[in-house]
Amino acid sequence: MAAMNTENTKAQMRKGILEYCILGLLLRSSAYAVDIINELRKAEVIVVEGTLYPLLTRLKNAGLLSYRWEESPQGPPRKYYELTGPGRSYLAELDQAWEELVDSVQQIRAKK
Amino acid sequence: MKTVVDITLGGAAFHVDEEVCQHLQHYLLRLERLFAGEAGGAEIMADIESRMAELFRERLTRYRQVLLRHDLEAVMAILGSPEAISGGAVAGEEATHVLSRRFYRDPDRRLFGGVCAGLAARFSWSPLIFRIAFTAAAMAGGFGLALYLVLWLLLPEARTTAQKLEMHSTPVTIGTITAFVKNGVESVRKKINL
Repeated sequence: MAAMNTENTKAQMRKGILEYCILGLLLRSSAYAVDIINELRKAEVIVVEGTLYPLLTRLKNAGLLSYRWEESPQGPPRKYYELTGPGRSYLAELDQAWEELVDSVQQIRAKK
Repeated sequence: MKTVVDITLGGAAFHVDEEVCQHLQHYLLRLERLFAGEAGGAEIMADIESRMAELFRERLTRYRQVLLRHDLEAVMAILGSPEAISGGAVAGEEATHVLSRRFYRDPDRRLFGGVCAGLAARFSWSPLIFRIAFTAAAMAGGFGLALYLVLWLLLPEARTTAQKLEMHSTPVTIGTITAFVKNGVESVRKKINL
């Protein structure tokens, strides 16, 4: 039971930072969905690919991302996602929120 | 020997084992339901389908051109089950039940409303057979025309990939014919109640 709860909590935490990770990753360079997945997998933030597609579409519809079609060496053209202006300012806000969160946790832990 | 079904996914054509086609259809249908409520639902499905097509293509070779069960399972493991994607439980049992019971109008091969093409897809016959039958029945007293219009009204158009697969993937059996009649009767009943 206890083991299940940790798994659940960890999954919730990962889910919470997924959007932040995607935006942060795209700040470096524009990327195709599979590149993004590979990076997120390496960092162990994502487990299945299917989670990413709805997020990308939601971020795009919210105006934080845009995409362009690019030819691929094998197969059909791919969607390359990049951060928009509003996406950058949104990310800056999240950066701040992240630091605040880390601070909060450290503060609480230090008192104990 | 096994029957193979031709499908299109993310703009690419594939040969699929008949049984695998049903599983694929079920998977896509459940994903569709997962995203049905949101504005970008169709776009999300299109992205997932084109990724699926890409993964399938990587698995096929010149000498192995039919997608088999293990191909689908491998691809589903990469993309994730609807439960894994949503991070919770997903209603899916109903979907299995509705499967291979529905008839559609086929927008891809239609002349008028796609009724004949849809029926033909369902029974894996040529649309021409139904077109001739309907025309003959229309000339012999107008019954064919009336029936056509009623079916045009009642049958939904196959819009999504899962629906198109559903439309194509059922062989003719007494069961499917009974299901067709039942389906028709139920739709009429629903329309009357409304």
